[in-house]
Amino acid sequence: MSKPLLEIRDLNVSFGTKDKPLCVVNDVSFSINPGEAIGVVGESGSGKSMTALSILQLVPTPPARVTGQVYFDGKDLLQLSNSELTSIRGKEIGFIFQEPMSSLNPVMTIGDQIDEAIMLHTDLSADARRVKVLELLRLVGMPDPETRIDVYPDQFSGGMRQRVVIAIAMACNPKLLIADEPTTALDVTIQAQVLDMMLDIRKQYNSAIMLITHDLGVVAEFCERVIVMYAGHILEDADINSLFASPKHPYTQGLLKSVLTLTEKQHRLYQIQGSVPPPGTIKEGCPFRPRCPVRMDRCAVEMPPMKSYGPTHVAACWATAEGVE
Amino acid sequence: MNEVAEPGNAGSQTDNIFEREALADEPTIADAIRAVIFDRLSTKIAAVLVVVFIITAVFAPTLAPYDPLSQSILNINKHPSWEHWLGTDQFGRDVMSRMIYGSRNSLIFGLLSPIFAAILGVTLGVTAGYFGGIVDRLISRVVDMLMAFPELLLAILIAAALGGSFWNIVVVLTIAFTPGFARVARASTLAVKQEPYVEAAIAAGVSTPVIIIRHIIPNILAPIVVLMTLWAASSIRVEATLSFLGIGTQPPNPSWGNIIRDGLANMFATQWPILAGGLTITVVVLAISILGDSVRDALDPETNQ
Repeated sequence: MSKPLLEIRDLNVSFGTKDKPLCVVNDVSFSINPGEAIGVVGESGSGKSMTALSILQLVPTPPARVTGQVYFDGKDLLQLSNSELTSIRGKEIGFIFQEPMSSLNPVMTIGDQIDEAIMLHTDLSADARRVKVLELLRLVGMPDPETRIDVYPDQFSGGMRQRVVIAIAMACNPKLLIADEPTTALDVTIQAQVLDMMLDIRKQYNSAIMLITHDLGVVAEFCERVIVMYAGHILEDADINSLFASPKHPYTQGLLKSVLTLTEKQHRLYQIQGSVPPPGTIKEGCPFRPRCPVRMDRCAVEMPPMKSYGPTHVAACWATAEGVE
Repeated sequence: MNEVAEPGNAGSQTDNIFEREALADEPTIADAIRAVIFDRLSTKIAAVLVVVFIITAVFAPTLAPYDPLSQSILNINKHPSWEHWLGTDQFGRDVMSRMIYGSRNSLIFGLLSPIFAAILGVTLGVTAGYFGGIVDRLISRVVDMLMAFPELLLAILIAAALGGSFWNIVVVLTIAFTPGFARVARASTLAVKQEPYVEAAIAAGVSTPVIIIRHIIPNILAPIVVLMTLWAASSIRVEATLSFLGIGTQPPNPSWGNIIRDGLANMFATQWPILAGGLTITVVVLAISILGDSVRDALDPETNQ
């Protein structure tokens, strides 16, 4: 096994005062190998985006407090200064945001915006950069890039803008691409196009990808490994086949059950009762306990540790650990 | 699903046609301004007046029939005639020529002080808005303090302390107008700072100064430009007021303000300097204000509909 590209250890993100902290990310640890595509899934408010943002120190501190270690290529990103980070942001790690409609500057042409990232991180001449921008636009499937390069974002639809955002993220051929729900704001046909395009790019560039989503279908199509998050905790971390074949955590099982299938006749969709608890309401024990169908007394007292269920499968559940399925 | 993955195939082509149409229909800012200027009679008249004012100021030496400073003891307090369209003042100077040269004065102050005030105010406002915290509190309190004075009172205070040279008046007007720009720039920066494209730029590794210059300032410029046009009118008015009070442009240099001042002392001999000065200031300030309002309407998407 090669050395991981990104290794996160005991990442905690909390808001609020020192005496009454509200933890939105709790002791999150995982790693991403070079070239690997992992999916991070979970409901809204499960801490997926916060985890991603804190990798690049994009969480404003204060008010947030971020502790733990994030090793990328041997450096702890959380210890770096702002100026050291600018050479990693955009160059080594590309970031795609959820909102394509507003993540482009309305008063700059898309060519200039893609060029900005290239200009910052390379020494290419203006002409060479323009060639590179055109190449990137072609890579993300932009029809007629020669005319589109000098166009402003308001003249594009959401799908086209997201292509531009992806082009910006890919501008310097990053080793890791973090995509925070890149297709959530797009309609379904465009989602498929954008995902296919991202798969293509991945094959060409061999970047590692951390895909944040709440769409298990997207994960199944795109990723090799899945991390399931809930209320700031990682509940399960498994390769895609074993997760879909035999999910170990009751939460993952619930998520998979609530996916609509076209092959079986269903009257009502399965639903996990209740909703994600607001941060700070669950002080100890397993965060999923109030909604868990197989909860035990022990769950209220102690957070279950990660238990291994195979070479690439870990989950944190007392019930599963004791064989109560 | 796979058939649309390839760029430039049939699917993207149809896409292409729709996008082309969208491109053609998109109105540019220039279109919007043009539409507003030519839609309203008041704006048309105001635009013509402002152009006449600027031409007069620029070509004053060619347009003025006499030297504005040359006195003539034989021709004092004349009423309008073909030789002197607006008559002469108590020193026999041609009022028309003095008015024409006075427009230069007004144009320079009307341009310079809003520009300087905008540069200073935007710098302060963006710094306060972007960095927040203690920097914001310091700058905002200073701005509040300046804001507490009526701008004219502030101008009179500073002018009285420094005296009435050209650069002093520019400094006075700049200081008087800076707080407004700072407030507007700060408020706009607070809004723009929250935009995802700023966060995206940070994530792309853009450094803070570049983010401010390339991503924040261009996006807050619309209200600043409107404010500049509105305060061009104000600074003409305030300069005239200062000159009228004797702490602005110093005689014998002509300024609309001190033409009225001189005329007031001599009101019972000839009324024309007061009338000419007062009317011109009113008309020019009104025209620039109307134009400024129109520009604001053009740039504001809500009134634009």
